Amino acid sequence: MSTPAGLTTQADITEDLSLECGVVIVGSGAGGATVAADLAEAGADVVVLEEGGYHPTESFRPETGRALRTLYRDGGGGATIGRPSVLFAEGRCVGGSTVVNGGMSWRTPAGVLDRWAKQDGVLEISEAEMAPYFARFEARNSVGTQDPETIGRNSLLLKAGADAEGWAILPNRRNQLHCAGTSNCSNGCPTGAKRSMAVTSVPRALAFGARIIAGCRVDRVTRSGHSVTGVTGHVVGPGGVRGPRVVVRARAVIVAAGSIQTPALLLRSGLGSASGQLGRNLSLHPNANVVAFFDSDVTGWQGVHQAFQIREFLAEGIMMSAQNLTPSMLAGVIPGYGRELGEMMADYNRVVTAGPLIEDTGTGRVRNVPGLGTQVFYRVTDKDAARVVRGVELTAEALFAAGARRVVLPFNGAPDVRDPADLRRLLTRPVPRRSVELYSIHLMGTARMSEDPRRGVVDSYGAFHGVRGLFVCDASVFPGPIGINPMETVIALAMRNARRLIEQRRRYALLPGLCSRADKSQCWLADKSQCQMATGVPGTYSNPESGLPVGAWFRCE
Amino acid sequence: MTAGGSAPHLPARARRAARRFAEIVCPPEMAAHHRTDRVLGELELMLAAVAPEARKALTFTLVVLDQAARLRPRSRGRRFSQLDDEAAEAYVRSVLASRSVPAEFVRRLKSLVVMCYYELPVVQREIGYHPAPYIAAVSKRRLESYGPEIRAGEAAVTAPEVMRAGEVAGAAGVVSAGDVAGARDEGARDEGAGDEGAGDEGAREGGSRR
Repeated sequence: MSTPAGLTTQADITEDLSLECGVVIVGSGAGGATVAADLAEAGADVVVLEEGGYHPTESFRPETGRALRTLYRDGGGGATIGRPSVLFAEGRCVGGSTVVNGGMSWRTPAGVLDRWAKQDGVLEISEAEMAPYFARFEARNSVGTQDPETIGRNSLLLKAGADAEGWAILPNRRNQLHCAGTSNCSNGCPTGAKRSMAVTSVPRALAFGARIIAGCRVDRVTRSGHSVTGVTGHVVGPGGVRGPRVVVRARAVIVAAGSIQTPALLLRSGLGSASGQLGRNLSLHPNANVVAFFDSDVTGWQGVHQAFQIREFLAEGIMMSAQNLTPSMLAGVIPGYGRELGEMMADYNRVVTAGPLIEDTGTGRVRNVPGLGTQVFYRVTDKDAARVVRGVELTAEALFAAGARRVVLPFNGAPDVRDPADLRRLLTRPVPRRSVELYSIHLMGTARMSEDPRRGVVDSYGAFHGVRGLFVCDASVFPGPIGINPMETVIALAMRNARRLIEQRRRYALLPGLCSRADKSQCWLADKSQCQMATGVPGTYSNPESGLPVGAWFRCE
Repeated sequence: MTAGGSAPHLPARARRAARRFAEIVCPPEMAAHHRTDRVLGELELMLAAVAPEARKALTFTLVVLDQAARLRPRSRGRRFSQLDDEAAEAYVRSVLASRSVPAEFVRRLKSLVVMCYYELPVVQREIGYHPAPYIAAVSKRRLESYGPEIRAGEAAVTAPEVMRAGEVAGAAGVVSAGDVAGARDEGARDEGAGDEGAGDEGAREGGSRR
């Protein structure tokens, strides 16, 4: 397997490594890769450390077990401590969770931004102020609705059900360049049509001179007094064996490891915030699966993952969609076993899997527990449990309206239901909270933004209160849940924070260091002093796009 | 991380229990078609990938599941791995129906084991899941229908944007060369101020927080 220039894998590092750079970024997902690309393009000397491996598009295949083992943290088997426990999955590979998510790309709802501004005192966060960043991401990553020929029958059935009920259902917006509809999102897109960070911002960052080390776990953020000095980590060898030590000295550290690993890293680095909020306020948008059986073939694996979203109940904090599960994933969520499981799975091609996503009101906490490592504590509130039950009921109703003959509910011990009356009868009795089977892929809020250091961990631009040169750039900065897919919000905030850093690059001493632009012919500067290597030479040069002379500009030789 | 190939084997006691557990929770075709070893191989690969604490907990769950069966009168002192089909099935049913914490681990183990069974390509073919030809066909259709747009989109990935040559007044959200030049001046003022706090204030007053 060849790797792109600038990307080093764990196999390439055989002895301890020491690097210097302007900015070191921990994590290469939605936040880390975006900020890496923007800073590298602006001329900063950027090193990205990614714990997971590098997996190119051509390596992605419809093999769930293999994907879980190579693209996800801990085989995708995260679980919160609490009753019920919520299963969660985090991507761990170059490109992070964007490699394995569904690619849903929605702007942060205006009401959420308004709440963050008014309640949490976040600056420059209005819909109008964020719009340019959303637009830039959408243009760069080809955000749009699906080509009609790629929409599978499972999505069309959910839409038929929603239409029959008279509910608002929207075509999903995804970061896709003419998605083929392979339904392989969670195993990595085999065509590269999903514009994950691995095929967009990562190559972009590399093209502008960033260096990326894959298979490197960061152990600690280092500092001197109240300023960061870099990070220390180690190469992750085969089977997770600890490999050579990696030390990176940097003038700025950007932690973008996700809402579980970011607080875990900062806490084990002794960087508890004055607010006491680091690791707290975890939201995770609990999801549940409703499995419906139809009389005719659906073949849900032939068509795009989540073509539509039911938005009718968004004001209640409930959103619904259909997503195909591979056979192994479906078998894992069906409550039956043995012969009964075999009989259900024999109808695999007649199944539609759909479910609600809940904007949660409960919060959790990430802690490093001695002897047990990083653990996630989360309590599902009665209100959220009631929302899940309501979301499950609505989903089942839509699926019955579309013609389902049998529905399996995500309540441990609950019987299957055969029609809407059966469903209503069942739900007249309270559903025990701990019997609800939940999972999550949206983890948010453990290093929340606020200008007030007593309330938030970072300021409005991700700068860690009280530690100079330390930034957080992922979903952990969200002050609360957003009720929809969070990727676009993470990326827009990362762009906004990168802009802020570029504006203040001198303040954070990001300018010194060697220029590492891969293509120096692209480097045009208004002033020679802007050149980090002082090699800019004057001349009359033409703008390569317009062909017009640009006079006093300097360029590198 | 282990992607395929070899993985650490389960301890013998746990593997014995895992084998019996798989025979109960997977469809009967698993044993009938001699697929148990492949399922256990897949399970060992998955256990090698999960967090060490989870791996220990799941392995311990297998051992406890095996030994706890002896406490049931119907088992007559036998471990789970020694029970006949009927007794083993009844035992698993009662554990899965329980709402105790250990039962939650057994349910998780059940999910993992049946996932491993349905990960076998032969089993996937039997239930009509054979995505490779479909993926090849739609990938080809994609390139035939939208080839030029796709190539243009992929080429745009590395096109300069933030500091586009000659661009001074960038669109909102785009950092222009002018911004960077301005930032340098601002930074120089910060440095000139000498005091860190004063520099911070200077940056705030510099107008970047609108």
